[in-house]
Amino acid sequence: MRGHWDALSGGLRRRGWAGLGHTCRISASSCGRRSISGAGLPVSPWHFRSRLEALLPSAVKGQPPRPPAAAGRSHILDSGCLNMSDTLTLDVIGQRVEVNGEYATVRFSGVVPPVAGLWLGVEWDNPERGKHDGSHEGIVYFKCRHPTGGSFIRPNKVNFGVDFLTAVKNRYALEDGSEDYGEEQIIIIGKKPVETIGFDSVIKQQSHLNNLQEISLRNCAVSCAGEKGGIARTCPNITRVDVSKNLLSSWDEVIRIADQLKNLVVLNLSENKLQFPSGSPVLTGTFSTLKVLVLNQTGITWAEVLQCALGWPVLEELYLDSNNIFISERPSNVLQMLKLLDLSSNPLIDENQLFLIAYLPRLEQLILSDTGISSIHFPDAGIGCKTSMFPSLQYLVVNDNRISQWSFINELNKLQSLRALSCLRNPLTEGSKEAQTTRQLIIAKIGQLKTLNKCEILPEERRGAELDYRKAFGNEWKKAGGHQDPEKNRPNEEFLAAHPRYQLLCHKYGAPEDGELKVQQPFMLKNQLLILPSFLKALKIKYPNQLEQKVLEKQLPGSMTIQKVKALLSRLLKVPVSELLLSYESPKMRNKLFKVWMDSANEEETAKVSM
Amino acid sequence: MRECLSIHIGQAGVQIGDACWELYCLEHGIQPDGIVLDSQQDQLENSKTKHMNASFDTFFHETRAGKHVPRTLFMDLEPTVIDGIRTGKFRSLFHPEQLVSGKEDAANNYARGHYSVGSEIISLVLERIRKLAEQCSGLQGFLIFRSLGGGTGSGFTSLLMEQLSVEYGRKTKLEFSVYPAPRISTAVVEPYNSILTTHSTMEHSDCTFMVDNEAIYDICHHKLGVERPSYASINRLISQVVSAITASLRFEGPLNIDLIEFQTNLVPYPRIHFPMTTFAPIISADKAYHEHPSVPDITAACFELSNQMVKCDPQLGKYMACCLLYRGDVVPRDVNAAIAAMKLRNSVQFVDWCPTGFKVGINHQPPAVMPGGDLARVQRAVCMLSNTTAIAEAWARLDYKFDLMYAKKAFLHWYITEGMEQGEFSEAREDLAALEKDYEEVGLNF
Repeated sequence: MRGHWDALSGGLRRRGWAGLGHTCRISASSCGRRSISGAGLPVSPWHFRSRLEALLPSAVKGQPPRPPAAAGRSHILDSGCLNMSDTLTLDVIGQRVEVNGEYATVRFSGVVPPVAGLWLGVEWDNPERGKHDGSHEGIVYFKCRHPTGGSFIRPNKVNFGVDFLTAVKNRYALEDGSEDYGEEQIIIIGKKPVETIGFDSVIKQQSHLNNLQEISLRNCAVSCAGEKGGIARTCPNITRVDVSKNLLSSWDEVIRIADQLKNLVVLNLSENKLQFPSGSPVLTGTFSTLKVLVLNQTGITWAEVLQCALGWPVLEELYLDSNNIFISERPSNVLQMLKLLDLSSNPLIDENQLFLIAYLPRLEQLILSDTGISSIHFPDAGIGCKTSMFPSLQYLVVNDNRISQWSFINELNKLQSLRALSCLRNPLTEGSKEAQTTRQLIIAKIGQLKTLNKCEILPEERRGAELDYRKAFGNEWKKAGGHQDPEKNRPNEEFLAAHPRYQLLCHKYGAPEDGELKVQQPFMLKNQLLILPSFLKALKIKYPNQLEQKVLEKQLPGSMTIQKVKALLSRLLKVPVSELLLSYESPKMRNKLFKVWMDSANEEETAKVSM
Repeated sequence: MRECLSIHIGQAGVQIGDACWELYCLEHGIQPDGIVLDSQQDQLENSKTKHMNASFDTFFHETRAGKHVPRTLFMDLEPTVIDGIRTGKFRSLFHPEQLVSGKEDAANNYARGHYSVGSEIISLVLERIRKLAEQCSGLQGFLIFRSLGGGTGSGFTSLLMEQLSVEYGRKTKLEFSVYPAPRISTAVVEPYNSILTTHSTMEHSDCTFMVDNEAIYDICHHKLGVERPSYASINRLISQVVSAITASLRFEGPLNIDLIEFQTNLVPYPRIHFPMTTFAPIISADKAYHEHPSVPDITAACFELSNQMVKCDPQLGKYMACCLLYRGDVVPRDVNAAIAAMKLRNSVQFVDWCPTGFKVGINHQPPAVMPGGDLARVQRAVCMLSNTTAIAEAWARLDYKFDLMYAKKAFLHWYITEGMEQGEFSEAREDLAALEKDYEEVGLNF
């Protein structure tokens, strides 16, 4: 352990970092030591030993020092061969660093009195990790956005990352130690060894870096492009690169990497806090083949997107999740080939901003999940007309938003190419109504829709939904001035605004007939019960012969026979059936009593209490 | 050359077959007319295609005209489903003789599929299979796709399997069977059919991968956000699983290169041949790039109930064998780390007598997804095949449903009138009871 720290300080001192005053004590490794970067994490003795082992042979043979072997070790610990002389003598300010799995940006480097030695002031991505806002004993060394977002930290605890090629080699190429690989790695689960079959050949295949087409360096602490031309020489055939969650600190660095990849099609830069150029550094040809660019959680702004977009001539898919994007201006002459735009989880997006991107000519798919959007209105198109905005938009995703009005769905009908919609987990769809009803209404309201929530809409389903819709709002339509006779059919504006397709559906299926519009009570026993004359609600049973003169109210089914009524009454009043004398008072003819004759219980009754 | 013949039987089998061949064609760059897509690509792409297709002749037969014809046979007792293929996008991929359909359906009745209707068409089907087998230089075996619940899938399959055993001796026969799910069931007699066919194919099938419609329905619903998964979505997901399993047969891969290897790796006793499949990751297309499934993530996901293709709880059983088939951008170091991490987290119990535990293979070919489908393109995927005693739970469920109906002899007359005897029912049920018992026994400690 001690030796390693010495090595570190030696390496640092060489680059002009005085002040970590230790002296070298290990002489055996002095050749190899030079290549150990100062950016190592505190490492175990084992780790250090293995490093020395890895380094010694090359030093003995007099070859240029190589990065240590990667087998079996975390590549983050192996921050191998970043040439610190570049980063430290030039500018560490603004560099992205990693400390024990936490990410931060360097804001300051220098001496912080009264503690001796060099410190780096860092601003953490996770503000809870820090202690202060960049000031110490009243002196402001740097500023943080969050009051506890900053820390001072010794440079040797910080991982500045590795260059692109080292990361690739760490992950894919196995340089040393492939012999002992098999023995080292046997894992036993429940007394049984895990057998890996043919890993050697896989390793061999992958280590031909020039054949690699797809590489994934997620979480590999990549911070820079490295030696110029190195990537182009080693792995020229890469088409898909994933460098998400790394330590890339600026867009220029990305350009330096991408410059060397002539076949680059997919680039994923998510979760790198990138600094974008303020000027317009148009490097023609860098991204000439790039079709898919992922910039989720990079902190990019819309202005920066547009500025950099000049360099993406054929870009088809752009992912900009979780960037707090505010669309501030219209893309002119850029992003014209864009087919897919993902703006999920950008809570600042609203409908007015969408109008700024409404004229992207080829935009087919727009993902607006979790943006909190609640309304949209296309001002250029009236009721039942198609808008000229979003001319190619086929698929719209608006899951997890705050859509609560049907007017949103009505407006979508104006999009001329919309074929598929995904609208899940919105107040509109989560309401009290059944999911099925909501689905039917959406289908009826958007005429050209072919797929809803990833389920294909078959012609029968559409027909059913439209017929139901026509019927369900028929009464409203009549009230609003609708009429079966086309001459008299003048529904008011309000109705047309709420149901823009209604007239069209009437045209398609015929206007709803009066008979259809009768509100049908669902077939339930409750509704089958005898509804007695309007003011009564139920059968009022008076018994004048009794003293209390109280009135009983009973709901009876319409088909109940007198005999059954008698039985019921005898049970209620505890009077034998034979002594009951029933009469009926009609609400229509007050004060007139109809005698209900029922002498014999055996007789087949035809008289019903139904009215 | 080690060719495999795929035989798709009944509606489920045919529809899964449709999805599978669509995906195979995409993975191998074969257009719907059977021509390999490579003409305009540059040198680099050419070499890539050549490399990629090094061993895909196991699944495709190349005609003299340069057309690639799948080594497959679709058969159904009624014509509508196969007519869908005859008129579909891939109509010119298949030879008309590969699509066999009868005129009268099996009406969800094992007896009709096996005896009355099935026996009329069996000789035709066998003849067509013979023709396909003649095109092979060294046939290694058959992959049979069917459902357990349907009439054709259950009845005709068992008839065909018997005949194949007679005609092709001990050529390996692997099955992909759709396990009936009550929630999306089409017939009440599914437990009858399933148990009858499991009994009669028990000794003919070498390894049966089961997929549970309900499990897949749930995956589509919860993970892919499909409101009401259709058979098309379900089958696309099944085809991903099938593709992952057969990847090593179609591309160069070290593990399970031969059909027989599946059997030797996974089946310790001939009757214990129902491995469970688990597939990860399953990411919805509009969440692409939101999630970053790393190797440890997908490995851990393999041990989650929600990724299983059959609903059962592996914690209640013991593992006898386990194969992890990775594909795509996977480096061995990550796999080792992932398995070590998984070991700490999960209590994976193995039976005592089994010499090996895990087998792990990597195939460099990344998974492909249908454009416009529900699944997002991912860089890597893993399919776990595990022979666990927990799957006995699935059989117990089925047996219970069988008993409910059989106790009252309900629906039996449909089978009796087609010429079956009641003895066959009790015999099949006893066999399944013995199977449950077998699972119990292999899980016991010494």
